[in-house]
Parts: sequence; structure tokens; C-alpha cells
Amino acid sequence: MIPSDHFTRFYNEIFKFLESQGEEALEAYWLAISKNQERHILDLIQTQGLAGMYEYWSHIKIEENCDMDLDFNEDRLELRMNVCPSLSKVMDNDAAPMERYCDHCAGWIGPIMDKTGYHMVYDVIDRTKPQCVTRIFKDPDKAREAEKSAQLLMGWPGHKVG
Amino acid sequence: MATHESPMRYEEDGNVHLDFHGATNTTIDFIVERFGVDAMDAIFRKVGRDVYASIRSDLIAGDTRQLVRQWRHFFDREGAEYDIEIGADEIVLTVRRCTAWHHVKGLVGHVSPHFCDQTSRTNEAMAEGSPFAIDTEITGEGACRQVIARRA
Repeated sequence: MIPSDHFTRFYNEIFKFLESQGEEALEAYWLAISKNQERHILDLIQTQGLAGMYEYWSHIKIEENCDMDLDFNEDRLELRMNVCPSLSKVMDNDAAPMERYCDHCAGWIGPIMDKTGYHMVYDVIDRTKPQCVTRIFKDPDKAREAEKSAQLLMGWPGHKVG
Repeated sequence: MATHESPMRYEEDGNVHLDFHGATNTTIDFIVERFGVDAMDAIFRKVGRDVYASIRSDLIAGDTRQLVRQWRHFFDREGAEYDIEIGADEIVLTVRRCTAWHHVKGLVGHVSPHFCDQTSRTNEAMAEGSPFAIDTEITGEGACRQVIARRA
């Protein structure tokens, strides 16, 4: 068994393999993971909107040992990851990190936001540092405005940026 | 065998997120369907060689203790039902109820027929070039027997 604690290091090897097969393979995988994740979050979003997302990530914050601040108000949810356990483990690793490791997060969350009518602004800031800021809006204009202050804006399948 | 025991390379603590096993199952299905079993096996072997380089290095030096510690640490963290018997000629890990397998079964109802390859292939890769072989026998649904023994 690869322990659940070591999943991200396994994930990292998957990303390296898929990157070697081309961008289409990597994006198809993110979409498969996104579909997998729907069973955990889709109903919460469809029934409770931003409050449902807040509930999901409040649970994840505890279960995945995230140093993360969640700021929820009526027009947006902000996830400020101070120390991301996923990238931290991939960097604390005898195998080399995949340089675009952070891209997977937008890769699975973005398509769910598209499907549910929300607008995500995912600022990775720096792919070598385990920190990022994600803001999710109902109003697309507020999302476009928030994009202007992002340092390293991330896209996802069907939503290219830059 | 070295007298000084290596520290365990990845000694995670805190909460356990078992749903990652569901993502592993999805990943195995995806890779096998698109690229075949050989590609999946190659990735598992890479995990065994590269991610678990420290355990492999110990095994090459004739030291099984880090691997046994890892088994205990992570099977305990995930609440598996298992025993480890350390004998003169072999070390036997008997997993009676694998938390990962049963969590996936409960989560999605379908466990990939290749799910346990993660154990078999990584074990083989960790033992590559060492005086030991690690054989994995699947004994039932969510159950297996893993044996570390010196190669003949």
C-alpha cells in the first residue's frame, strides 16, 4: 500500500509521466480527478453555493493538515494557503518534484466551478513555494477584477489564461 | 546489517485523509485504460526506486528495519488489521483488512483489479539490487501477505 500520507508523492510521479506524454494527457487526467472529486463537493455547491464550498474546505483543512485561512462572505470565498501540505511533501521527497505540480489544483477545481457557474481566480504566486490564494466568486466581473492583482494566475482545461 | 538504525524518511503525523486512496484508484483506472498496465507498473516501480530511495538504500545495505517501521507506522495510522512476524529467515506481513482497499470499496463500489499492484510493484522495486526479495501474495479482497526473504 502506498499510504494515503504519501499520495502526493505518487501523484507527483503520475504528473511527470503524463507530462512526458503531452499536455492533452495531463489535462485529461485533471478532468478525471475533477470527476472523482465531484462526489465530495458537487452536491455541497449545488445545494449551498459558497457556503457549501466553505464547508468542504473547512473539512479538508483539518483532514489534510493544511495551514490555511478561509474567508467566507456573501460574494466570495477566499482560501489563503499559508503552508500547502501537498507541495510541501512533494518538495520533501527523494524523488524530484514536477515543476508544474501546483497546476493540478486549478486543473481539478476549475472544471467544477465552470460546471456550477462560479468563477475562480487561482493565484499560485510562485510554483516553488507551498502557498497560494484562491478566490471564488459568483459574479464574473468581480473575478475579472481580482485577476488583475494575481502574481501567477493559473488556468485549467477549458479556461486558459495569459 | 548496519547496527545504527536509519530514521524513517517520511514520518508523517496529524490527521489521515483516506479519500486519497479513492484518487489512487481513479488514477490507476485512468493510466491503465489510456496507457496500459506496463505504464502503470513502470510508475509504481519508479515510486519504489525514487520516492522510497531511503528504504531501498537500507535494503541494499542488508537492513530491513526501516521498511518494517514504515509498515507499522502507516498501517497503524490507517487502522489496518495486520501482523508482522519477524523470523530468522523471513519477515512476514499479513494484512487481514487493508484500510485502503476497503475505503475505496466503500467510497466508489469498484476497486481497480490493479489496485494492489501499487504494493506488489513498489515492493519489487524497493528490493531491486538488494540481497532481499519482497513477494506480495493477494490472499483475498483487501488482504495480502508480504514476505521479505533473502534471495537464494
